[in-house]
Amino acid sequence: MADGALPMLTHPLLRIEAVEKTFHGRQGPVHAVAGATVTVRKGEFVSLLGPSGCGKSTLLMMIAGLERPTGGAIVLDGTAVTGPRSDVGIIFQDATLLPWKTVLDNVLFPVRIRRRPNAADRDHARGLLAMVGLSGFEGHKPAQLSGGMRQRVAICRAMVNDATVLLMDEPFSALDAITRDDMNVQLAALMDQTAKTVIFVTHSIREAAFLSDRVVVMGGRPSSILLDDTMPFARPRSLDLDETAEFGQVVRRLRLAIEAAHGRVGKH
Amino acid sequence: MAVSGSTEMGSAIDTEIGILIAGPGLAPGAGLRGLRAVALPGGLALLMIAAWQAVVQIGEIPAVILPSPISTAAYIVEHWDILLKHAIPTTIESALGFGIATVLGVLLAILITYSKLAREALYPNLVFFQLIPKIALAPLFIIWLGIGSQSRVTFSVFIAFFPVVIATTAGFMNVDRGLLRLCRALMATERQVFLHVRFPAALPYIFSGMKVAITLAIIGVIIGEFITAQAGLGYLIIFATARADTEVSMAAIVVLCLCGLLLYGLVVLAEFAARRLYSAED
Repeated sequence: MADGALPMLTHPLLRIEAVEKTFHGRQGPVHAVAGATVTVRKGEFVSLLGPSGCGKSTLLMMIAGLERPTGGAIVLDGTAVTGPRSDVGIIFQDATLLPWKTVLDNVLFPVRIRRRPNAADRDHARGLLAMVGLSGFEGHKPAQLSGGMRQRVAICRAMVNDATVLLMDEPFSALDAITRDDMNVQLAALMDQTAKTVIFVTHSIREAAFLSDRVVVMGGRPSSILLDDTMPFARPRSLDLDETAEFGQVVRRLRLAIEAAHGRVGKH
Repeated sequence: MAVSGSTEMGSAIDTEIGILIAGPGLAPGAGLRGLRAVALPGGLALLMIAAWQAVVQIGEIPAVILPSPISTAAYIVEHWDILLKHAIPTTIESALGFGIATVLGVLLAILITYSKLAREALYPNLVFFQLIPKIALAPLFIIWLGIGSQSRVTFSVFIAFFPVVIATTAGFMNVDRGLLRLCRALMATERQVFLHVRFPAALPYIFSGMKVAITLAIIGVIIGEFITAQAGLGYLIIFATARADTEVSMAAIVVLCLCGLLLYGLVVLAEFAARRLYSAED
């Protein structure tokens, strides 16, 4: 955590207050999110965990300003979120890279939208790529990269404008299990370095527990927040954490919270 | 994922280019396959021409009915100046019709993409118009615009721009929604979305529309020349056929094929250049 020893005293960076989202479909209204309240401090890594359809991605899209809440308010850094903004970086499930642009130009794309990138921007982008282990791939096209590499490019793109908050919508769910573990370790290390505030959406209990400072469990019908749990594990974290009894207990606690609302969800 | 979709489309177009511009210049390892891609269709074509020659010779078919490939070639070599004189206006008018059709088609596609009114009012009509045998309307253009170049070019535009509009609109609309959402998150303007996302994503579609358009543009000009009978290869074909000068007709048709190949080749070259700029591969 960037703010050191007194995280409890720091002003909350993001406040999600009684946020609701109701879609109006053919079969009447669908309550995707009902009364979600979450507070995130600067530098925190918070996961939104829950089964498919629990509204966690919808909540993330509302934080991103890509969806409007039908009730409640989202306040980021002192101002209400009313639309997309430049202090938020977003990473989707697909890397969504422009296939005809090089890796470097993809990372610079958010800059390109605002102005012509200069030498300093290019150095910054190269630095980000080096941090995720993609030095030497600047001139490659996305099609030449593996899925994990493409998602790392997307992470660099989300960071290039120096966003204070990174929003990640199941970024590794399309990757194979081994690559996914690797990406989790790399992401944990990267976030230890950069001290960004991260909201991470996932349906993997282990992934949420491994990466997060706090895990917010969503679920139920209509969907609300079932549990807001602090992860007690020290940083930096390695995959060895996975085998500790403490980790097992936390994973069990999170699983029970989901099962209480949805019934048994499988053996994880 | 639309990204992989466009790559598939790209590779299909690659194959097409491969057939047309042949082995050298393709990726290493494709040499043998490239040779095959040229040798097989080329060999079959030569075989057909040889069969044609044999049928004419063995069957002693008079030249009025069917001139042989050799006598046609001889005529072309001997009278290349006359053929060239007629080929020039045909090629220029076709190129002009094609160029206007492409610009008009892309502009209409932009209108259809960005205006809900145009999309709802215009697009269904365009699709319906595709079904009409537009060649039947050619004589009307002579009535409206006279027998000059402008009426042939206008008719050529008229029948060539439909495939460009339809294909380009499909390209603009079938953009990966994830990319559009990314642009929204980055607060990109519509102009930026068009330049960085929609236009490059639509390029393969635009070129497939253009390839249909170039052949239709030539057909439009030839039909016009059939009717207006002033100059051009279409005129030469009609004129010579009327005089039972089948050898001249056949020579004009062969030259017409060469002109069509030339124009089509230019479109393929333009596509090649555009794909270098907007390639998904290295």
